[in-house]
Amino acid sequence: MITLRALTKRYGDKTVVDDLTFDVEPGTVTGFLGPNGAGKSTTMRMVLGLDHPTSGQALVGGRTYASLRHPLREVGALLDAKALHPGRTAEKNLLAMAHSNDVDPARVGEVLERVGLAEAARRRTGTFSLGMSQRLGIAGALLGDPGVLMFDEPVNGLDPDGVLWIRQLLRSLAAEGRTVLVSSHLMSELQLSADRLVVIGKGRLLADAALDEFIAGHGTSTVHVRLPAAGDRRVLADRLGERGAEVELPADGELVVHGMSAERVGDAAHALGLRLHGLTTRSASLEQAYLELTAGTVEYGAAESVGV
Amino acid sequence: MAATRAEWTKLWSVRSTWWCLGSAAALMLGQSALTAISESADSSATAIAVEGVFYLVQFVVLALATLTMAGEYSTGSIRSTLQWVPVRRRVPAAKCAVLAPTLFALGTVLAAAAVAVIVPLQPERAPDVSGGEVLRTALAVGGYCALLGMLTVGIAAALRSVAGALTVTFLLLLVAPVLAGGMGLMAIVDYLPGVAGTNVMLGEGAPSLLTGAPVPYSEFVGFAVLVAWTAVALAVGDALLRRRDA
Repeated sequence: MITLRALTKRYGDKTVVDDLTFDVEPGTVTGFLGPNGAGKSTTMRMVLGLDHPTSGQALVGGRTYASLRHPLREVGALLDAKALHPGRTAEKNLLAMAHSNDVDPARVGEVLERVGLAEAARRRTGTFSLGMSQRLGIAGALLGDPGVLMFDEPVNGLDPDGVLWIRQLLRSLAAEGRTVLVSSHLMSELQLSADRLVVIGKGRLLADAALDEFIAGHGTSTVHVRLPAAGDRRVLADRLGERGAEVELPADGELVVHGMSAERVGDAAHALGLRLHGLTTRSASLEQAYLELTAGTVEYGAAESVGV
Repeated sequence: MAATRAEWTKLWSVRSTWWCLGSAAALMLGQSALTAISESADSSATAIAVEGVFYLVQFVVLALATLTMAGEYSTGSIRSTLQWVPVRRRVPAAKCAVLAPTLFALGTVLAAAAVAVIVPLQPERAPDVSGGEVLRTALAVGGYCALLGMLTVGIAAALRSVAGALTVTFLLLLVAPVLAGGMGLMAIVDYLPGVAGTNVMLGEGAPSLLTGAPVPYSEFVGFAVLVAWTAVALAVGDALLRRRDA
């Protein structure tokens, strides 16, 4: 269980994390979503005591990270896979890590096996690809068999096999009753692995909901109707409006209906004796919902190009 | 204790440690042999050994201690280290706990080995080297290397940069005495760590390698001066390490 209470981080007059309050529950995968620069990594770093909060608290199991006697046995984290001495082997790196928290050195071989790096155990980490470094970082997170796990952009640098593997790993860790927080700047990644979503933008909490609530709340679908006769558009729009739907009449000759199923729209057209050339349902993707939610909070967006 | 075991594993699992120790041995023994045969030498074997430490070995000690602490900032591994050991005071403490005995052993063994190389090369001088003096010098060199390593850990923790820590320690050891001496501030010069350290190694009353004059205090006071510098450097490094974001 990770608990954030009014967590705030400022650098000078720039607020990077702004009054964040949310809980990350055990037994679920919580997706931590936001554009680059939204404050996800800083938040995770504050949970680990690497950065000091300007105000507020970040607690693990009700305690600060630094007050845990054997922190690696309670919290495993992958923040920056390349934060290693490049000249040390994978195995020695994990061995030092195990010693630092009185973890049984036999775990080193076990976690290397689990992440598929057993063959590379004696290689210096400076020779690792980003994907291998990510796997080693995950091995480190698992080393102390902790109840809380945090992964910052874990699929970076992984091939499709690796991405699939991460998804399954996250699911199985949560199924074992662990608390799993995984960050990403891509909705599509979390859509498949998260039970819950916490969305932030410019350091502020934008959404904190179960994935299906989030879909219900943001993933609205619309019905697009094409009618050959221009006059019929108006007639159908009026009828649908009377029945409680919200109707748009865009210039391209279509009719866009919100809040009514395609079946009911089709039935209404049939009852009026109108000819239809198209009737389609379009679901706004979660990606779209996420983009709309975080629009205006993107830190390093490309400037809109101005036509010349 | 756990943090110390981790640092021990870290120290011996990178090649730079072995390079440092190997080059310290090569420099020390090579310098001792060359000095012993080339000099019309009125220096004793122990004095030649101390010169080897002062002119060569101490920079290897400096490099090793700097890499151990500030090197973590250049590789980024400090973030891992502080994640493993979030009570920050324990990090430089564990590094000192690992470096101090290693450097003490290095200094002691190299000083004794240097004397063993020098004595047969200076047959006409052999009688004036007593076993007690060799032991005293070896222990003093070991103590100097250990304290210098810890002093450097403190400076490196404060500066977070390999180049910065090397430069500052070098200036403090070698340049500060010359500058302060040039300004006539002998009272300050005598209490700088490089001067105090040489006094510890050479023994009471011997002319300092930096100033050419003996310091006005005993080698035990010199040792205390060195300990005080080390304590201050570690206190500053520790305070900054705890306050800053990693």
